[in-house]
Amino acid sequence: MTEYSGIRGTRVKYLSSDPTLNTSTEGQVWYNSTEGTLKSLVQIKAWSSGGSMGTARYKISSANAAPQDAALGFGGGPSASSATEEYSGFSWSNGGNLNTATRGAVGAGTQTAGLRAGGFDGGPAEQDDTEEYDGTSWTSGNNMPANMRLGAGCGTQTAGLAFGGFSSPTTQTVEYDGTNWAVGGNMNTGRYYLAGFGIQTAAVAAGGNSKDDTEEYNGTSWTSVNDVTSGNTQGAAAGGILTAGLFFGGTRTSVPARTNIALDYDGTNWSTTASMATARNSLGGTSGGSNTAGLAFGGNVPPSTAATEEYNSNINAITQAVWASGGNLTTGRMYLAGFGTQDSGLAVGGATTPFPSTAKGETEEYNGSSWSEQNDLGTARKYLAGCGTQTAGLAFGGADPALTGATEEYDGSSWTSGGALSTARNNLAGFGIQTAGVAVGGYDGTALTSTEEYGGSSWTAGGNMNTANYQFAAAGILTAGLAFGGQTPTKNQTEAYDGTSWTTVPATLNTARSAMAGAGIQTAAISMLGREPGPNSVATEVYNGTNWTISANAATARRGAGGAGTQSAGLAFGGYTTVSVNNTEEFTGGTEVATASTLTTS
Amino acid sequence: MALFIYGTATNTGKGFFTAEDRRAFFLRGYPANVWVVGNNEKGAMWLAEKNGVEKTKAEAQALVTAEVTAAQAAWDALSDEQKTDMNPRPTDITLP
Repeated sequence: MTEYSGIRGTRVKYLSSDPTLNTSTEGQVWYNSTEGTLKSLVQIKAWSSGGSMGTARYKISSANAAPQDAALGFGGGPSASSATEEYSGFSWSNGGNLNTATRGAVGAGTQTAGLRAGGFDGGPAEQDDTEEYDGTSWTSGNNMPANMRLGAGCGTQTAGLAFGGFSSPTTQTVEYDGTNWAVGGNMNTGRYYLAGFGIQTAAVAAGGNSKDDTEEYNGTSWTSVNDVTSGNTQGAAAGGILTAGLFFGGTRTSVPARTNIALDYDGTNWSTTASMATARNSLGGTSGGSNTAGLAFGGNVPPSTAATEEYNSNINAITQAVWASGGNLTTGRMYLAGFGTQDSGLAVGGATTPFPSTAKGETEEYNGSSWSEQNDLGTARKYLAGCGTQTAGLAFGGADPALTGATEEYDGSSWTSGGALSTARNNLAGFGIQTAGVAVGGYDGTALTSTEEYGGSSWTAGGNMNTANYQFAAAGILTAGLAFGGQTPTKNQTEAYDGTSWTTVPATLNTARSAMAGAGIQTAAISMLGREPGPNSVATEVYNGTNWTISANAATARRGAGGAGTQSAGLAFGGYTTVSVNNTEEFTGGTEVATASTLTTS
Repeated sequence: MALFIYGTATNTGKGFFTAEDRRAFFLRGYPANVWVVGNNEKGAMWLAEKNGVEKTKAEAQALVTAEVTAAQAAWDALSDEQKTDMNPRPTDITLP
């Protein structure tokens, strides 16, 4: 009988608890004496369904240097198409059309810097033209020195590579520098319907028409290496880099013809990984700069498909973010203030329908399950802001219906007057704590940029925002704040505050919206619900200090809800659908945790 | 098979829908207590357990449209001064 030590060269560790789980422990096997179980940390590899493309098609091209959550697909057949679609990680949306409808073109680059080379627009000959994509529209570039259809491509818009192709199987390789094409070294085996990945100076060509050949390019010449192990495979898709590639789908000369098989490439050997759900050829695909996060889209089943599948390889168990219902507010209302945490939140003021709405002074505390009424604000008001905690809160500004600058402090039981804002305003945003609060923006007849800082008794002027704004959300503390969204027009902008001045940051919300609920801190904020230009929204976006990412949708779309909590434990309550509502929803952020598997004999 | 089940149910608060529910089936709430639920076994069971009343898509759409129409009429009746972009006119809602 083969023993573990004979395979691994070490004995199975005998441990009272699991070791620290990270990439260094991947593949290790140990005996957990407390649990009485044999355990290991294994890489979980799987495909899952993604959002379907708007247009089903095959012979679709892809910017195969793009990451899984920012992919680009363009062109395709059966008749030549000019359609371009962009993938967000959740859904596809239309991009700018190709200037020349085509199918079977070479693709490279990314969603914001894509490259299309050659293809077939109906003939009579293959194309040699080039187009560059900037994230919005395609612009014609210089022609290739050769016609090419059903070739493969990789690299970037400024360092691209195209190789192989049709009409007769060709060995040609051409290199792009962002302006001009130059001839590179020829492949050893001429072919079309091949797949490629990598960069201009470290590329891989795999498969092709009745081919299982693999070749590697070093920027000058191609070298034959180990064949793909799925057999002769044509019309597959691929992505990754020379030492970490992913190759999937295609047509085999064996039966069944169209395959769902996917292979990993480590720079030397091919190995089978998880299979796609849908077997298909002539599909689009990418996996960015690795083989751990791939995307397959479109292709021919037949018929043409719009199906998208996401590939993930991870030692972590991933739990998706989700919203669940919380206890209903006693008084349903909209445009209220909210702060605190998910299990210790406060709902303050707001308004009830019918219009013209009635300002409210009600205060309710949330304990993670239900709301309980507390003493009312001294001044009932709507469109107000607040900050702080359930035992040390602050409410300021708003309208009753006249604009007010009134500030009130909450001690966990009742409200007392504080110093008034210098500028009475409504639809402002607030963040911070009771003794270091911030009031920013809002509306007093015009949209405002001004900021005021509260020191526990009075307000003093802070730095102005760069853009006048109201009905936006905010998060953070006085010395590290964040403001996002707003109107008018509906905004996707983000500004950061350092206690002195506001800076517009490059990151923008994926969808412009106003009247959202916000919570969190400057480097881990959350935007909940709101109003997109037109409809109310169920959307959630989370900010990591660099980018906004789309997260789980809430159940009920509404604007003017109150918000509290953190990025990983948010709370949204009240708001307006077609009436003021009392719904509460609780947000639990997604997690990725390295998780050991228990080994059994079954 | 239809993608969704349509019904009315009253949101009773905490526990009305759980994280497990949201992971098991599509769920979206609309005006008039209309809920659109993913058409699978767990989705159907959820609507039944919540004492939901199943509707056809047309019936559910009619309930939502009536609610939206009433809200739009209320907004239209406001004075020009009251018609601000702070709470703009409700838009039509089309169920999936």
